[in-house]
Amino acid sequence: MEAREYDLAIIGGGIVGCSLFSEAVLKGVKAVLLEADNDVSVLATKANSGIIHSGYDPMPDSKMARFNVRGNQIYPALCKRLNVDFMACGSLTVAPKEGREKLQMLLERGKKNGVPNLRIVEKAELFAMEPNLADGIEVGLFAPSAGVVSPFNVCIALAEEGVINGGTLLTNFAVDKIEKIKSESGESKIQSEDKKIQSGDNKIQAEINKSGGNKNQDKYIIQSGDKQVVAKYVVNCAGANANEVNALVGIKPYPMNFVKGEYILSDKTLVNFINHPIFPLPSEITKGIIVNVTTFGNILFGPTAIECDKDDTSVDINGINYIKEKVALSVKNANFKKTIKLFAGVRVKSGKDFVVERDTKNNHFYYALGICSPGLTAAPAIAEYFIEMLEQDGIQTKKITAKNRPAYINTQAMDKNSLNELIKKNPAYGRIICRCEEISEGEIIDALNSPLHPYTIDAIKRRVRPTMGRCQGSFCIPKLIKIFAEQRKIKQEQVTIDGKTSELLVSNIKEGGFYEK
Amino acid sequence: MKSDIVVLGGGPAGLAAAYGASKQGASVTLIERNYRLGGILNQCIHNGFGLHYFGEEYTGPEYAQKWIEKLSECSVNIMLNSLVDKIEKISDKHLRVWFKNEKGLDSIDCKAMVLSMGCRERPAGAINLCGTRPAGVFSAGEAQKLVNIHGKMVGKKIVILGSGDVGLIMARRMTCEGAEVLGVYEVMPNCGGLARNVAQCLNDFNIPLYLSTSIVRVEGKKRVTGVWVAPVKPDFSFEMDKQKYIECDTVLLSVGLIPENDLVADFGLEMSKVTGSAVVNEFYQTSMPELFICGNVMHVNDLVDNVSNEGVLAGASAGRFVKKGLPENQKIEIIHDSRIRYTVPTYVYKNDEPEIMLLFRVDKEYRKIMLIIKSGGEEIQKIPRPVVRAGEMEIVKIAKAKIKGDLSIEMVELESGKKMIK
Repeated sequence: MEAREYDLAIIGGGIVGCSLFSEAVLKGVKAVLLEADNDVSVLATKANSGIIHSGYDPMPDSKMARFNVRGNQIYPALCKRLNVDFMACGSLTVAPKEGREKLQMLLERGKKNGVPNLRIVEKAELFAMEPNLADGIEVGLFAPSAGVVSPFNVCIALAEEGVINGGTLLTNFAVDKIEKIKSESGESKIQSEDKKIQSGDNKIQAEINKSGGNKNQDKYIIQSGDKQVVAKYVVNCAGANANEVNALVGIKPYPMNFVKGEYILSDKTLVNFINHPIFPLPSEITKGIIVNVTTFGNILFGPTAIECDKDDTSVDINGINYIKEKVALSVKNANFKKTIKLFAGVRVKSGKDFVVERDTKNNHFYYALGICSPGLTAAPAIAEYFIEMLEQDGIQTKKITAKNRPAYINTQAMDKNSLNELIKKNPAYGRIICRCEEISEGEIIDALNSPLHPYTIDAIKRRVRPTMGRCQGSFCIPKLIKIFAEQRKIKQEQVTIDGKTSELLVSNIKEGGFYEK
Repeated sequence: MKSDIVVLGGGPAGLAAAYGASKQGASVTLIERNYRLGGILNQCIHNGFGLHYFGEEYTGPEYAQKWIEKLSECSVNIMLNSLVDKIEKISDKHLRVWFKNEKGLDSIDCKAMVLSMGCRERPAGAINLCGTRPAGVFSAGEAQKLVNIHGKMVGKKIVILGSGDVGLIMARRMTCEGAEVLGVYEVMPNCGGLARNVAQCLNDFNIPLYLSTSIVRVEGKKRVTGVWVAPVKPDFSFEMDKQKYIECDTVLLSVGLIPENDLVADFGLEMSKVTGSAVVNEFYQTSMPELFICGNVMHVNDLVDNVSNEGVLAGASAGRFVKKGLPENQKIEIIHDSRIRYTVPTYVYKNDEPEIMLLFRVDKEYRKIMLIIKSGGEEIQKIPRPVVRAGEMEIVKIAKAKIKGDLSIEMVELESGKKMIK
């Protein structure tokens, strides 16, 4: 099988990996992004609060503080460049009067971290900003630089930008082996080091030899089953699986724990219930239960913080009850009857700070792990930091003329004339499939044909939102299955929610007899 | 474009409303998002429709066809494949309805509207269904559409949560298609669906119904692998020590219907906390005079025949409203026994209309009941009922001439003499 060679391989298509991927590609680096799952943005990145934190919470001089504040600076322009929404709403941390001292402390900490324009807000102004705050609330900390994004929209846009500009994304590429090839003195050390390559894959060997111009360059063969790529520089952004990937090159595991965050998502009809993300006073461990807005207009309550297994994204009734109880301390009259979805994501923690390192033993191997909150905010800054290191370590960059990553057509946001022109050209934009979010067939087909070639219903949902509305897909799933099957030329029974073994349909009817075997 | 009346939705309520409005001589436009009329009736291939209205039993599509034929006698402008995007009030008796279809975004102006958008199924999140979120959790109506319209099976080993009528119907349907239906679990102490559906869809097929029992959590990463079920206490918390695991690949949810009235959410209509929809007077007119409402978007009905009745009345009222106005004077709020959850209508007028049809639902099953209607300090009507159930609509006709300045409905349990009225 053909192994392509890249300057840079990034392992993991979460927000950190995708940020780095796009930045590297725009710097002219020949980069490949390796993602174990069927799409980018599928684990921690897709299931979090979506808040671009201002940065008063992390301890000064930590990586968290540095990357948080820098990431916060990057986001508005980044979102503009990517054509995704950035809600520049600021954030409020609210407290009863006993909390004033702690808010003052957070303000001081924020100043130390370099957070701009933080200020204490008194009751009258606070309630003018947020009329639905709970009765006991007296004082707040306003952080105007905070914002809200759709984390999966940003992550997908970054990966798309990378691909549009010549980067390569390989999905379903779960790295299970990394081999290092040393080529210290120019003679073919590869042959003695790795018999498999010598005997098995001449193409790789040829490629490796051919590009052996830089004699002191280590290279890595990265494998996933029988697939492989070769890269000179490797950055491990594998999130929850970062220790396992590091272990493939002999790096000792970091302490890691997994903390589940459960959420309650409400219908859009609660819009204007609040206008900012509202935080309670943070504890040592978490920022607490946030009452949050989404870029789409839903209200989001959560997250909890519960130690769990790595891949446990299940929701428990105790967590849901805990959220409801805590929400009442920040806001009054939260209407949980408008709930449309419960979900959970898993944060990865490694001690109290992020781990973002250049490995000391493996030349040109780097890793980021323990990127818990504020990881979404920090990701572009972490990417920037990795790029600096890579440049210091001699990665080849060149100027490219970057192509703009276009937004998906959104018929809901169009004015009458431009919509009618569009529908005239292609009536599919006038055929509404998802009635709750008013998503047309044209928009769904666009998403199916988008740069990353998504092929699950969840992947399309993360791009253009069908099934994300108040009915949660009960009206449009049958139609979506049909469109998928037609567009992809597969059987309806092969259409999945989230990749293999998540098929929705079993067979045609009248092929029954399951009961009587 | 212009029309006296716009009817929103071409299911059973909308078909009847368009018919009713048209018979009053109003010009009527019916907007339907699907490519054909009939709404959810099209996927209800079982029988039992029309016994009350037509005196004959039809399947869902047949019942829809009867109404489509009735409507073809009237000159109603029918717009298919069109989704209403927004409703604006321009001035009194002047509404603008924006819709999208394959020709683009357009609007139609009207003097009054009938809302007949039906309802949607409550999703898993709304009932706080916990556990994982794999493929294989369907709402019962969604599964019904996949099976009956698309001809596709959704699973082999099925657990049904909720005893609403669609869930009961699907228990039978999936069994007939060869799937194994392991049971219907209902969180409430009583069945949510019609007694006849329990008999015909569960009992006849030996499918067990577990009352006061629900799903604690769903298991399965990609596709459902099973569910944990447990009895629920009166406060709706689970008896966790009695939970047990059931292996299955599919969960169908029949856990309630929500009126699909989001289009008018911003109008500040007077709403009922019980139905989640607009409160109406005897003309099925909402607190915004130009808006009439009927069918499941007003309150969830058990029988389509009732929906048709409501549709005809709402349509005819809208027609009269546009043509000559409605006889409104002295508004009377109907007072009811607290075991009656709500009534439709909420308000009546003192006028010369021949009668009103009072619809209501009780909170649970009661046997040997006397319903007593009172007005002006007098009993004006006494109606005995052997049994009333939460899942079934009660209908009482009251002669208008007997209504004085007030109207109340009492329910007396004949054995205990218990009555509960505000």
